[in-house]
Amino acid sequence: MEGVRILEMGQLIAIPWSIKMLADMGAQVIRLESCQRLEVYRRSTMYRDRVDGEYWNRGGLFYEHNRNKLGITLNLADENGRAVLRDLIAVSDVFAENFTPRVIKNFQLEYEDLRQIRPDIIMVSSTGYGFTGPWANFGATGPSTEGASGLAFMTGYKDGPPVQPEIPYADYTGGEITVFAIMAALMHRMRTGEGQFIDVSQAQATSSTVPEALMDYAVNGRIAPRMGNGHPSMAPHGCYPCSGADRWITIAAQDDRQWQALCRVLGKQEWLQDGRFSSMDGRLENQDELDRLIGEATKDWESHKLMHLLQAEGVAAGAVLDTKNVLFNEHLKERNFYQVVEHDPSTEMPPLPYAGQPWKFSATPAVPNKAAPTMGEHNRLILGELLCRTDDELAALEEQGIIGYAPTTPSQPPIQPPLDEQVRQGRVQRYDPDFQEQIARHFDIK
Amino acid sequence: MPEGALEGVKVLDLTHHISGPYCTKLLADFGAEVVKVERPEGDPARGMPPLIHDQPGPDNSLLFLYLNTSKLGVTLNLKSDRGREMVRELASQSDILVENFSPRVMPSLGLDYQSLKDLNPSLVQVSISNFGQTGPYRDYKATDIVEYALGGLMYIFGENKREPLIHALHQAQFRAGTNAAGGALMALYHQRRTGQGQHVDVSVQECVASGLRDAVDIYTYTGAVRHRAPEASGDMRRMRKVSDGYLLPTPSLAPNLNWPDIVEFFGAPELDDDKFNTPTARLVNTEELGQILDRVFLTKKKAEMFYAAQKKRFIFGMIQSPEEVLADEQLEARGYFVDVEHPVAGKLKYPGPPYLTSGPPWQARRPAPTLGQHDEDVLGQRLGHSGEDLARMWAEEVI
Repeated sequence: MEGVRILEMGQLIAIPWSIKMLADMGAQVIRLESCQRLEVYRRSTMYRDRVDGEYWNRGGLFYEHNRNKLGITLNLADENGRAVLRDLIAVSDVFAENFTPRVIKNFQLEYEDLRQIRPDIIMVSSTGYGFTGPWANFGATGPSTEGASGLAFMTGYKDGPPVQPEIPYADYTGGEITVFAIMAALMHRMRTGEGQFIDVSQAQATSSTVPEALMDYAVNGRIAPRMGNGHPSMAPHGCYPCSGADRWITIAAQDDRQWQALCRVLGKQEWLQDGRFSSMDGRLENQDELDRLIGEATKDWESHKLMHLLQAEGVAAGAVLDTKNVLFNEHLKERNFYQVVEHDPSTEMPPLPYAGQPWKFSATPAVPNKAAPTMGEHNRLILGELLCRTDDELAALEEQGIIGYAPTTPSQPPIQPPLDEQVRQGRVQRYDPDFQEQIARHFDIK
Repeated sequence: MPEGALEGVKVLDLTHHISGPYCTKLLADFGAEVVKVERPEGDPARGMPPLIHDQPGPDNSLLFLYLNTSKLGVTLNLKSDRGREMVRELASQSDILVENFSPRVMPSLGLDYQSLKDLNPSLVQVSISNFGQTGPYRDYKATDIVEYALGGLMYIFGENKREPLIHALHQAQFRAGTNAAGGALMALYHQRRTGQGQHVDVSVQECVASGLRDAVDIYTYTGAVRHRAPEASGDMRRMRKVSDGYLLPTPSLAPNLNWPDIVEFFGAPELDDDKFNTPTARLVNTEELGQILDRVFLTKKKAEMFYAAQKKRFIFGMIQSPEEVLADEQLEARGYFVDVEHPVAGKLKYPGPPYLTSGPPWQARRPAPTLGQHDEDVLGQRLGHSGEDLARMWAEEVI
């Protein structure tokens, strides 16, 4: 994506994450921040729970969603700040934001405003429910847009209420379609010279991934019941206990051959003689009993060992990896999925691994990683070299508080309960006091 | 037909099931010319439920109909030399080839990336697979539940004391399709500027693992392994049952909310108590608070409370059923659901544009192809094979 410049006024996940995916592949991204209104993710998931000093440069959620970007601070409440922004828009290919339309109107940053400055600009707005329509200005979060989309309604244990994962999931589905939308717009601009306004609704993007449920109702008037880990046409299909604390394996027997292999691996040849289980229809009909029996049979197995044995026999199976297991997973290591990123020395943070991209490109691989910017890290680079502001002008901007390097009204991150207490509450499964050594060893960090 | 954003982009689609077809659907609905190649017996997704009125038939799967709009459809038997030759002919004329076989299949057909590159150096080949084209798990089998397990999302999904859970339907497949479409266009952007093609290797596991918020960072930052959070009954952000469904009072009600406003908004004077008016007090008295909240919410109606909250700028969300999504006034205003007329399936309501744009619009350009519908247009007219040729291929079960 070399040669494409993206100006990002993002917050939290939806836009920062999608623009990170483009930054990873070589787009130059300039991320705007405000010293007056500290980005919440700069004060969340603090390295070693430290809340002292320049804590705003130690927030894990910020680092996770903003690597490979340049960062500047700008006070848009001030006309001089807005003048800098206009100069940046004039030299950008894409402007991406995820504020509510109300805010964007107030800052005079609507598409028509931007076009006055840069006629072929591509503007992308990502909101919970869309930039237009009666819900345009409704506040939203990942859980609420997942709720609106129809996905959450369908998800949950059998006979239980809807359940959502513990991440703002629809931010990611919305973020992924945003990457596609920006690329389609860049292709169109390349051919025609025209820009466009892209209006992403995270709820609508997510509805587009549950078409069978929506069409089943539209066509058949039917809403399928929540089925837990079950599958409408496959049994067994579930999550079964293994040896150890909170260890599980998932198994999906896709056909009779896989079912027979499963029985053999588990040493339960007698199930092959059981007429109830001899066909997929029979297994579907008797799946509660089947799940109970399989759970009994897996509970003394080590989950990884059983997964490898089942996969060797061609049975779809996967150990449920916890957040440490996934980081240390042998397959992801072989594919170099987690990538070590160095942090600015002022942060006193060692190099750390972060999740990589969902793809590998053979000719234009992801760029060598640079950590997310510290606050205002590239003020001088962008304003000086790109916008040709003189040193005197820069000093004046600093003097006026239009650019800066720290929040103007510091608000320290909340202090987390000690890890022992979090384990007791059940929020944390366990913790490793020597995690730094373990990570350094696995990722060969000196 | 108005031009699409991807006008002039030629896509050879060798995909089946969900992830690959969703990728090529996105490309096709935005204007690319997509030629979908099916085996002579058809994409297995043609049989995937739910079906129109539960009637079996190759054009009755709602998922298939949705996933294959705007595409041309041809049949080719890739197990025959002739079929593979036709794929090579099509690949030599394409910008993008998308496939989602398991990693050993394309090389076994003599259609590995290197050979295709020799044929067409500017070709972008996108391969979607369970675990990627390399690595020890590359031949492992998977469905969504296995991808959620090995992608790290399942462990933090569900109740604390119960088995981990997955999303309903086929989320991992759809996300892989979306990422593959974005990746395809990034590679195409490079191709248009430099003439250079490349191979894009999309792993469904990595699609799941790349979006876990800070779940893994919590380990690298503090050494803690995050768990499925236990139920805290007084948590203000917890999903609550109302008289007609479920509401999400999430999340900006906490922790710096102005308590008297909340008491008034809920119309629940029993909450006007020192036991609840600070975050610490609410934590100490979480059980009692939870009981009161459960009781209060049960007297409310979902949409009423949602709109009332938005009016006060409290961020509330609603859990909407498919029925409610279809009647959603916001989606209605945005023209989301569209009617698509199919020669066999008839006119049905489909989910429409995943996003809106002032540029060339999303469009279901044509319904999903019937099996082999465009054999003659594509193989005959485009590739220049005569009617005789096609008849021979038909007889030899190539098409």
